[in-house]
Amino acid sequence: MATIIQAEQLSFSYGQHQVLNQLDLTIKTGEIIGLIGENGAGKTTLLNLLLGTRPADSGALTVFGQAPGSLIAKQKIGSMLQGDMAIRGVTVTDLLTMAATRYPAPLSAAKLITDLDLTAFAQQQLTALSGGQLRRVTFALALISNPDLLFLDEPTVGMDTNAQQAFWQRIQALKAQGKTMIITSHYLPEIEQVADRILLLQDGRFVFQGTFAALQQRYQQVVMTFQTTLPVTTFDHLAGVTAVTSRHQAIKISSEDGDATLQALVPYLAQLQQVTINRESLSAIFVQLTKGAKA
Amino acid sequence: MNTLIAQLKFDGRRLILRNFSFQFFSILMPAGFYLLFTKVMVSGTVPMRFNLQYMASMIVYSGTISALFGIAQILMHDREQGLLQWLQLTPTGVKTYYLSIGLWSMVMNALAIVILGGLAVVFNHVSLTAGQWLTIVCVALIGQLPTMLIGVLVSFINGAETLSVVSNLITFPMAIISGLWWPMAMLPSWLQPIGKLMPTYFVNNWLGAVATHATLNATTVIGVVAWIGLLTIIAVGGTRQLLKRGDGVVKA
Repeated sequence: MATIIQAEQLSFSYGQHQVLNQLDLTIKTGEIIGLIGENGAGKTTLLNLLLGTRPADSGALTVFGQAPGSLIAKQKIGSMLQGDMAIRGVTVTDLLTMAATRYPAPLSAAKLITDLDLTAFAQQQLTALSGGQLRRVTFALALISNPDLLFLDEPTVGMDTNAQQAFWQRIQALKAQGKTMIITSHYLPEIEQVADRILLLQDGRFVFQGTFAALQQRYQQVVMTFQTTLPVTTFDHLAGVTAVTSRHQAIKISSEDGDATLQALVPYLAQLQQVTINRESLSAIFVQLTKGAKA
Repeated sequence: MNTLIAQLKFDGRRLILRNFSFQFFSILMPAGFYLLFTKVMVSGTVPMRFNLQYMASMIVYSGTISALFGIAQILMHDREQGLLQWLQLTPTGVKTYYLSIGLWSMVMNALAIVILGGLAVVFNHVSLTAGQWLTIVCVALIGQLPTMLIGVLVSFINGAETLSVVSNLITFPMAIISGLWWPMAMLPSWLQPIGKLMPTYFVNNWLGAVATHATLNATTVIGVVAWIGLLTIIAVGGTRQLLKRGDGVVKA
């Protein structure tokens, strides 16, 4: 697979505030990258550097083998940035028709309207659309160039459940076509389905790069809950246990090594009732990681 | 060329067909002023020279309104909505966008000339040669450039309300002190030298000279060219800086 994006020691700051700090990044053709991080972590700034709307302070960056913002890159990139265009006096069809003329091999505006199910409001002015509808128009705008590389920044914000489902189905279809994508989100579960690789950005650095499986293996805790009359201190020092909380006779154990903790619990099993064992949610991992990185 | 045609269609629909306030302020208001000051609020016979000069003044006024209340607001709106930044990310960039906005502004100005000229002919029996009309159109379009560039500069202001206040503070004082509303001789003597430096003064003088067969003063042409040169440098520099800064794109 060819390398599409190559960044080495990439840094960027707003005045004294270091937003990106010596990032190294390689993205290959067909990869779907989930770029996650809290607000202000530097996700959008990284996208802007990749788009060439801002120059990096230092480091090397190439997109399609050229400097960001090159003509080749502009022809091959579709971007769905935060914020939608509610331009006065413009219909959805007007916008997409105009947009298509700006690229050498665009998709048909009419076909895109049909494919993305925008027909019902295609002749409406943008100012009359809801937030979710506008977001869908912005997605169509990102696809109009038939891009090889897509930047999707918080793509589903404002969309209702049906629109979100349709959106992720479309992303799956684009993935099957071999498109390369960088998707930013606060919400891990929604990009879990499509992302090949996760980049966790915290305070301008990648604190994790890898697959979802690796992320889970490394960070996802096993949570065991049960009722018991045993004192809570019984469970504090069991193998793998990272936290124990209790309320009345209900105990909740978090473990970084579920198998080891379960084995250590065996002697007490007769005194445990209503035992449940679950993996922590992906959202909990996100909170844990971002808090952990800050600590 | 296809991109420019598509941009012209896109802008024509939103700026002209679906934008009544733009039509009203750019054309109907100056036309109303022309009739008011040459037919309604006058007594006795109005000299033909005044009818011609006031037609020229209202053509300049129309261009000024169109630039400062039309172009400035359109550019600011498009910047705030992210259209400018989106266009910048496309292979064809923002040049066709600015060209399209400029061309539509000139079309509106040409339309204003047709309407004001028509009113002058029908109601005030103004009679000019085809050559004079053609020269008036050319001079008016060139003369609109300084106010268009001021419109571009004003569009850098953030916030619709602030922009509206600034547009008002520029347009009406500039129109008054450069003699568009009433003769400059009626202004206080200390204000007249300032008015004679305004771009609208030079353009008004030029148009008036064409319409009334008066001798064209070289300083009039130099004044227009100087304003175009100065404002082009500032507007181009400001726009580049704005796009470089990536306003509206970056949210860390």
